[in-house]
Amino acid sequence: MYKYYWEDFYPGQVLEAGGISLSEDEIIEFAKKYDPQPFHTDREKAKQSIFGGLIASGWQTAGICMRLLCDLYLLEAASLGSPGVDELRWVKPVRPGDTLRLKSTVLETRASGSRPDMGTVRSRSEVYNQHGELVMHMSGVGMFRRREPAK
Amino acid sequence: MAIKYYWEDLTAGRVFETATRALSEEDIVRFAREYDPQSYHTDAEAARSTPFGGLIASGWQTCSVTMRLMCDGYLLETSCVGSPGLEELRWLKPVRPGDALRLKTTVIESTPSSKQPNRGTVLFLWETLNQRGEVVLSMRGRQLFLRRAPA
Repeated sequence: MYKYYWEDFYPGQVLEAGGISLSEDEIIEFAKKYDPQPFHTDREKAKQSIFGGLIASGWQTAGICMRLLCDLYLLEAASLGSPGVDELRWVKPVRPGDTLRLKSTVLETRASGSRPDMGTVRSRSEVYNQHGELVMHMSGVGMFRRREPAK
Repeated sequence: MAIKYYWEDLTAGRVFETATRALSEEDIVRFAREYDPQSYHTDAEAARSTPFGGLIASGWQTCSVTMRLMCDGYLLETSCVGSPGLEELRWLKPVRPGDALRLKTTVIESTPSSKQPNRGTVLFLWETLNQRGEVVLSMRGRQLFLRRAPA
């Protein structure tokens, strides 16, 4: 039924997806709703800021990272959600017209100690722009159903 | 908006609290269609037969709403010049349609920049609570602020 269960992930596995482009309008629309700092919402004020121009909210970049993860494997996976993320870093600004792609590397898989039908997968997700520059990375944990419950 | 808080004003132990912001089913579905189209975020009917028992917000939308609460609560009145990232992000409880979220921000530590005399870093604990006072999201992360007076 699903393509990916917990057993289908292994350390060192690399999955890549791309690319989603962000327009100036999309950056401003997101920021007006969720992150109305002037360097995200106002082109003129952004020019005067330390960023020298409009940049996307880091949460929009994180949202695009999530969308790329969904398109890459999550929508075809027996996913049970996520408890969280560690070491999320916004490394470089994302600007209007940038096209983002994702590289996700599995770091570790672990059978659940309490639930024989479930396991967790820790992976490092890296988001790159069209110049091949790393703009964001994070280490997240996903919970997945097992193909076969543990004995 | 005039700057009320510089780096020097954000001292360890300082707490900021916000008003609430409600999330409708329509808000949840609209965000998820764009950034996180897993069925338990986009389809109320399909969500019923998932482990969550009904529609829940994307964790990234909870982060984004938290960012908005942060902006309205203190950030737009500060000299903030961005964020390098988060140490830890935890989705502790699902957020459901109609939930009203508020944010409690606590300053953990504040550090002057060793390279730039006009800046400093602040480490925060952000806790997002629902209308029952349950913490639904917690994050530990840093923001950069200009100093009122250079070191």
